[in-house]
Amino acid sequence: MNKDDIISDEQLNAFADSELDTEEENRLFNLSEDSPELSNRMCEQRRLKEMVRHAYREVPQPRRRFERKGQGNRLFVTAAAAVILLAIGGVAGWFGSNSLNATPNPVRIAGVADQVVVAEPEPYLLHVTSGDPQRMRAALQRAEQLLSTADGNQAHRVEIIANEAGLDLLRSDVTPFGDQIRALYEQEVLFFACTKAIERLEEQGIHVRLVPEADTHYSALDRVVLRMNEGWTYEKI
Amino acid sequence: MSLLRTVSQKRAFRNILANNRNRLYNMAYAWTHDPYLADDLVQQTYYKALRSQKQLRDIGAADAWLFRILANCLTDHYRARREFLSDDELIIIEKRTPETEAEEDQLAQRVRLAVQRLPLPQRQVVTLIDLEGFAYATVAQILDIPVGTVMSRLCRGRRALRELLLDANSKMEVTSPPMMRRIK
Repeated sequence: MNKDDIISDEQLNAFADSELDTEEENRLFNLSEDSPELSNRMCEQRRLKEMVRHAYREVPQPRRRFERKGQGNRLFVTAAAAVILLAIGGVAGWFGSNSLNATPNPVRIAGVADQVVVAEPEPYLLHVTSGDPQRMRAALQRAEQLLSTADGNQAHRVEIIANEAGLDLLRSDVTPFGDQIRALYEQEVLFFACTKAIERLEEQGIHVRLVPEADTHYSALDRVVLRMNEGWTYEKI
Repeated sequence: MSLLRTVSQKRAFRNILANNRNRLYNMAYAWTHDPYLADDLVQQTYYKALRSQKQLRDIGAADAWLFRILANCLTDHYRARREFLSDDELIIIEKRTPETEAEEDQLAQRVRLAVQRLPLPQRQVVTLIDLEGFAYATVAQILDIPVGTVMSRLCRGRRALRELLLDANSKMEVTSPPMMRRIK
Protein backbone atom coordinates (compact mmCIF):
# COMPACT_ATOMS: atom_id res chain seq x y z
CA MET A 1 0.00 0.00 0.00
CA ASN A 2 1.31 3.39 -0.96
CA LYS A 3 1.98 5.69 1.99
CA ASP A 4 -0.23 8.53 0.77
CA ASP A 5 -3.07 6.13 0.05
CA ILE A 6 -3.77 6.19 3.74
CA ILE A 7 -4.18 9.98 3.73
CA SER A 8 -7.79 10.72 2.93
CA ASP A 9 -9.15 13.87 1.32
CA GLU A 10 -10.76 14.71 4.66
CA GLN A 11 -7.36 14.64 6.35
CA LEU A 12 -5.85 16.77 3.61
CA ASN A 13 -8.66 19.28 4.01
CA ALA A 14 -8.15 19.38 7.75
CA PHE A 15 -4.44 19.94 7.13
CA ALA A 16 -5.10 22.80 4.69
CA ASP A 17 -7.59 24.36 7.11
CA SER A 18 -5.30 24.08 10.16
CA GLU A 19 -7.73 21.74 11.87
CA LEU A 20 -5.15 19.06 12.69
CA ASP A 21 -3.26 18.91 15.95
CA THR A 22 0.51 19.37 15.87
CA GLU A 23 1.26 15.65 16.02
CA GLU A 24 -0.96 14.86 13.06
CA GLU A 25 0.45 17.78 11.10
CA ASN A 26 3.99 16.54 11.71
CA ARG A 27 3.00 13.09 10.50
CA LEU A 28 1.68 14.54 7.24
CA PHE A 29 4.77 16.68 6.73
CA ASN A 30 6.99 13.64 7.27
CA LEU A 31 4.99 11.50 4.90
CA SER A 32 5.00 14.19 2.24
CA GLU A 33 8.82 14.34 2.29
CA ASP A 34 8.96 10.79 0.98
CA SER A 35 5.98 11.05 -1.32
CA PRO A 36 5.97 13.60 -4.15
CA GLU A 37 2.41 12.56 -4.91
CA LEU A 38 1.19 13.37 -1.43
CA SER A 39 3.19 16.58 -1.46
CA ASN A 40 1.49 17.48 -4.70
CA ARG A 41 -1.97 16.77 -3.26
CA MET A 42 -1.22 18.99 -0.27
CA CYS A 43 -0.06 21.81 -2.52
CA GLU A 44 -3.16 21.47 -4.69
CA GLN A 45 -5.40 21.71 -1.67
CA ARG A 46 -3.77 24.91 -0.50
CA ARG A 47 -3.75 26.32 -4.01
CA LEU A 48 -7.46 25.64 -4.34
CA LYS A 49 -8.15 27.52 -1.12
CA GLU A 50 -6.14 30.50 -2.33
CA MET A 51 -7.94 30.49 -5.67
CA VAL A 52 -11.34 30.64 -3.97
CA ARG A 53 -10.20 33.41 -1.66
CA HIS A 54 -8.82 35.38 -4.60
CA ALA A 55 -12.01 34.99 -6.64
CA TYR A 56 -14.14 36.71 -4.00
CA ARG A 57 -11.74 39.35 -2.78
CA GLU A 58 -13.52 41.94 -4.90
CA VAL A 59 -17.03 41.13 -5.96
CA PRO A 60 -19.54 43.05 -8.09
CA GLN A 61 -21.74 45.51 -6.21
CA PRO A 62 -25.41 46.08 -7.07
CA ARG A 63 -25.97 48.91 -9.50
CA ARG A 64 -28.24 51.54 -8.05
CA ARG A 65 -30.49 52.71 -10.81
CA PHE A 66 -32.65 54.96 -8.66
CA GLU A 67 -31.18 57.85 -6.78
CA ARG A 68 -32.90 59.42 -3.86
CA LYS A 69 -35.39 61.93 -5.14
CA GLY A 70 -35.50 65.09 -3.09
CA GLN A 71 -33.64 63.38 -0.30
CA GLY A 72 -30.42 65.21 -1.11
CA ASN A 73 -32.02 68.62 -0.63
CA ARG A 74 -33.71 67.57 2.57
CA LEU A 75 -30.51 66.10 3.91
CA PHE A 76 -28.64 69.26 2.97
CA VAL A 77 -31.21 71.45 4.75
CA THR A 78 -31.12 69.16 7.80
CA ALA A 79 -27.32 69.18 7.82
CA ALA A 80 -27.21 72.96 7.43
CA ALA A 81 -29.71 73.38 10.25
CA ALA A 82 -27.68 71.04 12.44
CA VAL A 83 -24.50 73.04 11.78
CA ILE A 84 -26.25 76.33 12.60
CA LEU A 85 -27.75 74.87 15.78
CA LEU A 86 -24.39 73.49 16.82
CA ALA A 87 -22.78 76.89 16.24
CA ILE A 88 -25.50 78.66 18.24
CA GLY A 89 -25.25 76.03 20.95
CA GLY A 90 -21.48 76.36 21.07
CA VAL A 91 -21.59 80.16 21.39
CA ALA A 92 -24.39 80.01 23.95
CA GLY A 93 -22.51 77.33 25.86
CA TRP A 94 -19.35 79.43 25.89
CA PHE A 95 -21.20 82.50 27.19
CA GLY A 96 -23.16 80.33 29.62
CA SER A 97 -20.09 78.70 31.06
CA ASN A 98 -18.34 82.08 31.39
CA SER A 99 -21.23 83.62 33.25
CA LEU A 100 -21.62 80.54 35.44
CA ASN A 101 -17.95 80.65 36.29
CA ALA A 102 -18.10 84.36 37.05
CA THR A 103 -21.16 84.22 39.32
CA PRO A 104 -22.02 80.85 40.71
CA ASN A 105 -25.79 80.86 40.88
CA PRO A 106 -27.61 77.70 41.99
CA VAL A 107 -30.89 78.80 40.41
CA ARG A 108 -29.32 79.29 37.01
CA ILE A 109 -27.42 76.03 37.26
CA ALA A 110 -30.66 74.24 37.99
CA GLY A 111 -32.21 75.95 35.01
CA VAL A 112 -29.42 74.77 32.71
CA ALA A 113 -29.67 71.26 34.09
CA ASP A 114 -33.41 71.21 33.47
CA GLN A 115 -32.85 72.15 29.87
CA VAL A 116 -30.33 69.38 29.43
CA VAL A 117 -32.57 66.61 30.73
CA VAL A 118 -35.58 67.49 28.56
CA ALA A 119 -35.66 64.60 26.10
CA GLU A 120 -37.00 64.77 22.60
CA PRO A 121 -40.09 62.67 22.02
CA GLU A 122 -39.41 59.21 20.73
CA PRO A 123 -39.23 59.05 16.93
CA TYR A 124 -41.17 56.32 15.14
CA LEU A 125 -40.66 54.49 11.89
CA LEU A 126 -43.78 52.77 10.58
CA HIS A 127 -43.24 50.09 7.96
CA VAL A 128 -46.00 49.08 5.56
CA THR A 129 -45.48 45.90 3.56
CA SER A 130 -49.06 44.89 2.91
CA GLY A 131 -51.31 45.96 0.07
CA ASP A 132 -54.35 45.45 2.29
CA PRO A 133 -56.14 48.84 2.51
CA GLN A 134 -57.03 48.15 6.16
CA ARG A 135 -53.36 47.79 7.03
CA MET A 136 -52.55 50.98 5.12
CA ARG A 137 -55.29 52.84 6.95
CA ALA A 138 -53.99 51.45 10.25
CA ALA A 139 -50.52 52.84 9.48
CA LEU A 140 -51.90 56.31 8.71
CA GLN A 141 -54.09 56.24 11.82
CA ARG A 142 -51.09 55.21 13.93
CA ALA A 143 -49.17 58.20 12.54
CA GLU A 144 -52.08 60.51 13.39
CA GLN A 145 -52.25 59.06 16.88
CA LEU A 146 -48.52 59.60 17.41
CA LEU A 147 -48.79 63.19 16.21
CA SER A 148 -51.67 63.85 18.57
CA THR A 149 -49.84 62.53 21.62
CA ALA A 150 -47.43 65.40 22.00
CA ASP A 151 -44.73 64.71 24.54
CA GLY A 152 -43.32 67.72 26.37
CA ASN A 153 -45.11 70.04 23.93
CA GLN A 154 -43.30 68.36 21.05
CA ALA A 155 -44.89 65.93 18.63
CA HIS A 156 -43.25 62.62 17.77
CA ARG A 157 -41.21 62.50 14.59
CA VAL A 158 -42.80 59.95 12.32
CA GLU A 159 -41.72 58.35 9.08
CA ILE A 160 -43.68 55.87 7.03
CA ILE A 161 -41.84 53.56 4.70
CA ALA A 162 -43.58 51.34 2.17
CA ASN A 163 -42.25 48.37 0.27
CA GLU A 164 -43.39 45.11 -1.30
CA ALA A 165 -47.20 45.24 -1.77
CA GLY A 166 -47.29 48.12 0.70
CA LEU A 167 -45.88 50.33 -2.04
CA ASP A 168 -49.47 50.71 -3.26
CA LEU A 169 -49.99 53.13 -0.38
CA LEU A 170 -47.76 55.64 -2.15
CA ARG A 171 -48.69 54.93 -5.78
CA SER A 172 -50.68 57.91 -6.99
CA ASP A 173 -52.84 55.86 -9.38
CA VAL A 174 -53.59 53.15 -6.83
CA THR A 175 -53.78 54.61 -3.34
CA PRO A 176 -57.16 55.57 -1.90
CA PHE A 177 -55.40 57.59 0.81
CA GLY A 178 -54.02 60.58 -1.10
CA ASP A 179 -55.76 63.16 1.12
CA GLN A 180 -54.63 61.58 4.39
CA ILE A 181 -51.07 61.33 3.10
CA ARG A 182 -51.10 65.02 2.15
CA ALA A 183 -52.50 66.01 5.54
CA LEU A 184 -49.88 63.99 7.41
CA TYR A 185 -47.12 65.32 5.18
CA GLU A 186 -48.17 68.85 6.13
CA GLN A 187 -47.65 67.80 9.74
CA GLU A 188 -44.10 66.76 8.81
CA VAL A 189 -44.63 63.03 8.54
CA LEU A 190 -42.16 61.78 5.95
CA PHE A 191 -43.07 59.11 3.42
CA PHE A 192 -40.57 56.83 1.73
CA ALA A 193 -41.13 54.45 -1.15
CA CYS A 194 -38.65 51.60 -1.47
CA THR A 195 -36.79 51.91 -4.75
CA LYS A 196 -36.22 48.19 -4.97
CA ALA A 197 -39.96 47.62 -4.85
CA ILE A 198 -40.34 50.22 -7.63
CA GLU A 199 -37.65 48.52 -9.70
CA ARG A 200 -39.31 45.15 -9.31
CA LEU A 201 -42.64 46.49 -10.52
CA GLU A 202 -41.01 48.28 -13.44
CA GLU A 203 -39.22 45.08 -14.41
CA GLN A 204 -42.69 43.55 -14.69
CA GLY A 205 -43.66 46.35 -17.07
CA ILE A 206 -45.65 48.30 -14.47
CA HIS A 207 -44.93 52.02 -14.59
CA VAL A 208 -44.87 53.35 -11.06
CA ARG A 209 -46.10 56.86 -10.30
CA LEU A 210 -45.83 58.06 -6.75
CA VAL A 211 -47.76 60.64 -4.79
CA PRO A 212 -45.77 63.90 -4.66
CA GLU A 213 -45.23 63.53 -0.92
CA ALA A 214 -43.29 60.29 -1.35
CA ASP A 215 -39.56 60.31 -1.31
CA THR A 216 -37.57 57.44 -2.74
CA HIS A 217 -34.87 55.71 -0.84
CA TYR A 218 -32.71 52.93 -2.22
CA SER A 219 -34.09 50.29 0.06
CA ALA A 220 -36.75 50.08 2.74
CA LEU A 221 -34.57 47.80 4.77
CA ASP A 222 -31.66 50.23 4.56
CA ARG A 223 -33.92 52.89 6.04
CA VAL A 224 -35.16 50.55 8.73
CA VAL A 225 -31.64 49.55 9.68
CA LEU A 226 -30.49 53.19 9.71
CA ARG A 227 -33.36 54.37 11.89
CA MET A 228 -33.16 51.43 14.28
CA ASN A 229 -29.46 52.08 14.59
CA GLU A 230 -30.30 55.67 15.50
CA GLY A 231 -32.62 54.45 18.24
CA TRP A 232 -35.97 54.99 16.51
CA THR A 233 -38.90 52.85 17.50
CA TYR A 234 -39.82 50.54 14.66
CA GLU A 235 -43.34 49.29 14.07
CA LYS A 236 -44.32 46.98 11.25
CA ILE A 237 -47.97 47.53 10.46
CA MET B 1 -22.12 51.05 36.16
CA SER B 2 -24.58 48.71 34.51
CA LEU B 3 -25.87 51.62 32.41
CA LEU B 4 -22.32 52.34 31.26
CA ARG B 5 -21.80 48.68 30.45
CA THR B 6 -25.01 48.59 28.44
CA VAL B 7 -24.01 51.71 26.52
CA SER B 8 -20.54 50.36 25.76
CA GLN B 9 -21.98 46.99 24.70
CA LYS B 10 -24.41 48.72 22.37
CA ARG B 11 -21.57 50.75 20.91
CA ALA B 12 -19.45 47.62 20.45
CA PHE B 13 -22.37 45.89 18.78
CA ARG B 14 -22.90 48.77 16.36
CA ASN B 15 -19.19 48.83 15.57
CA ILE B 16 -19.36 45.15 14.77
CA LEU B 17 -22.29 45.75 12.45
CA ALA B 18 -20.52 48.66 10.79
CA ASN B 19 -17.31 46.72 10.29
CA ASN B 20 -18.82 43.52 8.98
CA ARG B 21 -20.94 44.74 6.12
CA ASN B 22 -18.36 43.94 3.41
CA ARG B 23 -17.59 40.52 4.84
CA LEU B 24 -21.26 39.62 4.96
CA TYR B 25 -21.86 41.00 1.49
CA ASN B 26 -18.95 39.04 0.00
CA MET B 27 -20.24 35.87 1.61
CA ALA B 28 -23.79 36.49 0.47
CA TYR B 29 -22.46 37.12 -3.03
CA ALA B 30 -20.41 33.91 -2.94
CA TRP B 31 -23.57 32.00 -2.02
CA THR B 32 -25.90 33.62 -4.54
CA HIS B 33 -23.73 35.26 -7.24
CA ASP B 34 -26.44 37.88 -7.47
CA PRO B 35 -25.41 41.37 -6.24
CA TYR B 36 -28.99 42.49 -5.65
CA LEU B 37 -29.98 39.41 -3.72
CA ALA B 38 -26.72 39.55 -1.75
CA ASP B 39 -27.45 43.17 -0.84
CA ASP B 40 -31.00 42.24 0.24
CA LEU B 41 -29.72 39.41 2.38
CA VAL B 42 -27.19 41.60 4.16
CA GLN B 43 -29.84 44.19 4.91
CA GLN B 44 -32.18 41.56 6.25
CA THR B 45 -29.33 40.22 8.35
CA TYR B 46 -28.73 43.67 9.83
CA TYR B 47 -32.39 44.21 10.45
CA LYS B 48 -32.72 40.87 12.25
CA ALA B 49 -29.47 41.41 14.14
CA LEU B 50 -30.63 44.79 15.41
CA ARG B 51 -33.96 43.39 16.48
CA SER B 52 -32.49 40.43 18.30
CA GLN B 53 -29.26 41.90 19.62
CA LYS B 54 -30.27 40.99 23.19
CA GLN B 55 -29.91 37.34 22.23
CA LEU B 56 -26.21 37.85 21.68
CA ARG B 57 -24.74 37.16 25.11
CA ASP B 58 -21.08 37.03 24.11
CA ILE B 59 -19.97 39.92 21.93
CA GLY B 60 -16.91 37.85 20.98
CA ALA B 61 -19.21 35.39 19.21
CA ALA B 62 -20.82 38.14 17.12
CA ASP B 63 -19.09 37.08 13.89
CA ALA B 64 -20.50 33.58 13.84
CA TRP B 65 -23.85 34.87 15.05
CA LEU B 66 -24.12 37.33 12.15
CA PHE B 67 -23.15 34.71 9.58
CA ARG B 68 -25.72 32.36 11.07
CA ILE B 69 -28.40 35.01 10.62
CA LEU B 70 -27.21 35.49 7.05
CA ALA B 71 -27.48 31.74 6.38
CA ASN B 72 -30.99 31.73 7.85
CA CYS B 73 -31.99 34.68 5.68
CA LEU B 74 -30.86 32.78 2.59
CA THR B 75 -32.80 29.71 3.67
CA ASP B 76 -35.89 31.87 4.25
CA HIS B 77 -35.42 33.44 0.83
CA TYR B 78 -35.39 30.10 -0.95
CA ARG B 79 -38.26 28.80 1.18
CA ALA B 80 -40.36 31.82 0.28
CA ARG B 81 -39.74 31.03 -3.36
CA ARG B 82 -40.10 27.29 -2.81
CA GLU B 83 -36.54 26.84 -3.93
CA PHE B 84 -35.22 25.26 -0.76
CA LEU B 85 -32.44 23.00 -1.85
CA SER B 86 -31.50 19.66 -0.46
CA ASP B 87 -27.95 18.42 -0.50
CA ASP B 88 -28.43 16.65 -3.81
CA GLU B 89 -29.89 19.55 -5.68
CA LEU B 90 -27.87 21.80 -7.87
CA ILE B 91 -28.43 25.45 -8.44
CA ILE B 92 -26.63 27.45 -11.04
CA ILE B 93 -27.21 31.16 -10.88
CA GLU B 94 -25.55 33.41 -13.36
CA LYS B 95 -26.41 37.01 -14.09
CA ARG B 96 -23.38 38.04 -16.06
CA THR B 97 -23.14 41.13 -18.19
CA PRO B 98 -20.38 42.23 -20.58
CA GLU B 99 -19.47 44.98 -18.11
CA THR B 100 -18.95 42.62 -15.22
CA GLU B 101 -17.02 40.21 -17.39
CA ALA B 102 -14.66 42.97 -18.44
CA GLU B 103 -14.15 43.97 -14.85
CA GLU B 104 -13.22 40.58 -13.53
CA ASP B 105 -10.06 38.71 -14.25
CA GLN B 106 -10.19 35.39 -16.00
CA LEU B 107 -9.07 33.30 -13.07
CA ALA B 108 -11.60 34.85 -10.71
CA GLN B 109 -14.32 34.20 -13.29
CA ARG B 110 -13.34 30.57 -13.68
CA VAL B 111 -13.30 30.02 -9.94
CA ARG B 112 -16.65 31.72 -9.41
CA LEU B 113 -18.24 29.70 -12.17
CA ALA B 114 -16.89 26.55 -10.57
CA VAL B 115 -18.17 27.59 -7.12
CA GLN B 116 -21.57 28.38 -8.64
CA ARG B 117 -21.77 24.85 -9.94
CA LEU B 118 -21.55 23.45 -6.43
CA PRO B 119 -24.80 22.59 -4.65
CA LEU B 120 -25.64 25.36 -2.20
CA PRO B 121 -24.82 23.38 0.97
CA GLN B 122 -21.34 22.57 -0.34
CA ARG B 123 -20.89 26.13 -1.59
CA GLN B 124 -21.72 27.52 1.84
CA VAL B 125 -19.27 25.27 3.63
CA VAL B 126 -16.44 25.87 1.17
CA THR B 127 -16.83 29.64 1.21
CA LEU B 128 -17.26 29.97 4.97
CA ILE B 129 -14.01 28.08 5.43
CA ASP B 130 -12.02 29.51 2.54
CA LEU B 131 -13.18 33.13 2.58
CA GLU B 132 -13.64 33.64 6.30
CA GLY B 133 -11.31 31.02 7.70
CA PHE B 134 -13.94 29.77 10.14
CA ALA B 135 -13.15 26.61 12.06
CA TYR B 136 -15.21 23.53 11.21
CA ALA B 137 -16.96 23.74 14.57
CA THR B 138 -17.97 27.35 13.91
CA VAL B 139 -19.27 26.48 10.45
CA ALA B 140 -21.31 23.70 12.05
CA GLN B 141 -22.82 26.29 14.39
CA ILE B 142 -23.50 28.79 11.63
CA LEU B 143 -25.24 26.27 9.39
CA ASP B 144 -26.73 24.27 12.26
CA ILE B 145 -25.31 20.97 11.07
CA PRO B 146 -22.96 18.40 12.66
CA VAL B 147 -19.20 18.84 12.21
CA GLY B 148 -19.07 15.54 10.33
CA THR B 149 -21.49 16.96 7.77
CA VAL B 150 -19.30 20.03 7.42
CA MET B 151 -16.33 17.79 6.66
CA SER B 152 -18.15 15.62 4.15
CA ARG B 153 -19.65 18.65 2.32
CA LEU B 154 -16.26 20.30 2.26
CA CYS B 155 -14.70 17.16 0.89
CA ARG B 156 -17.22 16.79 -1.91
CA GLY B 157 -17.13 20.48 -2.69
CA ARG B 158 -13.37 20.68 -2.94
CA ARG B 159 -13.21 17.49 -4.96
CA ALA B 160 -15.62 19.01 -7.46
CA LEU B 161 -13.67 22.27 -7.55
CA ARG B 162 -10.44 20.42 -8.09
CA GLU B 163 -11.94 18.55 -11.02
CA LEU B 164 -13.28 21.77 -12.52
CA LEU B 165 -10.28 23.96 -11.92
CA LEU B 166 -7.13 21.95 -11.56
CA ASP B 167 -7.50 18.84 -13.67
CA ALA B 168 -5.81 19.51 -16.97
CA ASN B 169 -8.50 17.98 -19.15
CA SER B 170 -11.47 19.75 -17.65
CA LYS B 171 -10.85 23.44 -18.19
CA MET B 172 -14.08 25.32 -17.86
CA GLU B 173 -15.48 27.34 -20.68
CA VAL B 174 -15.82 30.85 -19.32
CA THR B 175 -17.27 32.44 -22.41
CA SER B 176 -20.54 30.56 -22.26
CA PRO B 177 -21.98 31.28 -18.84
CA PRO B 178 -24.92 29.20 -17.65
CA MET B 179 -28.37 30.61 -17.20
CA MET B 180 -30.28 30.38 -13.95
CA ARG B 181 -31.36 26.82 -13.61
CA ARG B 182 -32.43 24.43 -10.95
CA ILE B 183 -31.86 20.75 -11.44
CA LYS B 184 -33.29 18.13 -9.11
